Amino acid sequence: MNRWRDRALFLALLAWVLLPVAMLAVRALAQSWRFPQILPAATDRLSALTLSTAAGDRLASALAMSITLAAATGLIGTILGFVIARSAAGSSQLFRRLTLAAAFFTVIAPPIALGVGLQVAMLGVGLGGTLVGVLLAHLVPATGYLTLFAVGVFSSLDSSLEDEARTLGASGWQVVSRVLVPLLRRRLGEALILGGLVSWGQVAITLLVGGGLVRTLPVELMSIVQSGDDRVAAIAALMLSVPPMLGIGLLTMGARRTGASV
Amino acid sequence: MNRRDMAGLVAASAVASPVLIGAAYSTLAALGLAGVGAQGFTLDRVIDTIGSAETWRGVAWTVATAGAATVLAIGIAFLLAVRLRASRMGQAAAMLPMAVPHVAAALAALLLLGQSGLLSRLSYGLGLTSVAGEFPALVYDRTGIALVLTFLWKELPYLTLTAMAVLLSDTRELEEVARTLGATPRQAFWRVTWPQLWRGTAPAIIAAFAFLVGQYEMPALLAPSDPVPLSILTFERASDPNLARRGEAHVLGLLALTIAAVLAILHARWLSRVEPDRR
Repeated sequence: MNRWRDRALFLALLAWVLLPVAMLAVRALAQSWRFPQILPAATDRLSALTLSTAAGDRLASALAMSITLAAATGLIGTILGFVIARSAAGSSQLFRRLTLAAAFFTVIAPPIALGVGLQVAMLGVGLGGTLVGVLLAHLVPATGYLTLFAVGVFSSLDSSLEDEARTLGASGWQVVSRVLVPLLRRRLGEALILGGLVSWGQVAITLLVGGGLVRTLPVELMSIVQSGDDRVAAIAALMLSVPPMLGIGLLTMGARRTGASV
Repeated sequence: MNRRDMAGLVAASAVASPVLIGAAYSTLAALGLAGVGAQGFTLDRVIDTIGSAETWRGVAWTVATAGAATVLAIGIAFLLAVRLRASRMGQAAAMLPMAVPHVAAALAALLLLGQSGLLSRLSYGLGLTSVAGEFPALVYDRTGIALVLTFLWKELPYLTLTAMAVLLSDTRELEEVARTLGATPRQAFWRVTWPQLWRGTAPAIIAAFAFLVGQYEMPALLAPSDPVPLSILTFERASDPNLARRGEAHVLGLLALTIAAVLAILHARWLSRVEPDRR
């Protein structure tokens, strides 16, 4: 009886998570989908993900912008997160907790609230409406996430290898480059993905700091939805969802191999 | 203070400084001393915004929708974690919505729950409605049904995976001990599993609630125009053609940051209770 109940629960969960994604896929494939058709008419279906040149160019340029920002945010955020977490790891419990609380605050701080403050700050230094300004703004929540991630990494790291390297005469830089980085290679890779994902979904901060001039894929998607072009919006939504699916898939595979939980 | 603690202080400051700089600019802008439309020190923007019924209706609606979605997510996440904790397929299925960005999830909700969405079409097909307009307005409505369901869809994976991790790491042995000592499955659940679940997932629950309170994209696409959710009200003020009103966005931003700070303090206090001796 319990087994049947669990199976029913699993099927309900599957329907719950898949239905919205299926809606996006069907809408992206159908040229038109008029009310009250339950499914698009056969002649409208499977039109392939074709777009007009203007819409295609718009999405391609937004995709390139999002990839650039995600890559830069992942890379710089990983370096910052690991350096900050490393500094916190060696300090007393009070400062470790302070760092954790500060990182958690940047993670949960409403992006719109962060955005309005950072917008004025970026305008003040001449970076409002620029890619660099948006990158710096994306780094704020990304560094918070990656600091929390790196604190977890360092708390489970065996420091005896570093001590041995130091005893054998390695300098601080050699310990980092020859011991820590090789030891943490997989975790650094996961951090790059995580940082990229944080940047990938940002809308409010990008809109405010970018001033509408930095057009990332989620910003374009937002304006396409508001303009009412469901089909192009659904294609953009799928383009926006596939990279995180791959990223989370890679993170999960890595976690399973190491026996950790995501 | 020794060198290591100094490094810790620098670390904490490095993480907090961008938010503090942003908050400092917002404070100056709220007081008319910085930003677009600044015309010298004034408390008018603060008084007008804090005294406005629209602000507090927006805050109440935001907290209510985020709270409703969080409560639903807790119940369903616990159920899924207890029933499917050993199922890798269950874990993988639960995780999928995490990959779909909020704005894409909001579009899916429009396609499903809007008055010409899939549910409305099914209702028409079953003869329950005769035109799209007869289908109940789930989107842009004051009850926030579509928004709460979309919040739930996005936050459920986070709470489910956290609850599954708690059950897999902390409770299995304790449950077995309780059963060995004669507890019935029901007693083992209520006396062992349930308290452990609460203890282990409370920080994630606080975080999930905070995320939803600060959400922008989903309310922008699914919420009504009255009451206006806090994040939307802030954005509207920040891009108001009347430059004099833009300072109000900073007051609202500071209000949202204060709510987040209270939640961060609650989170930190809960963590220190759960792991008092962890070094």
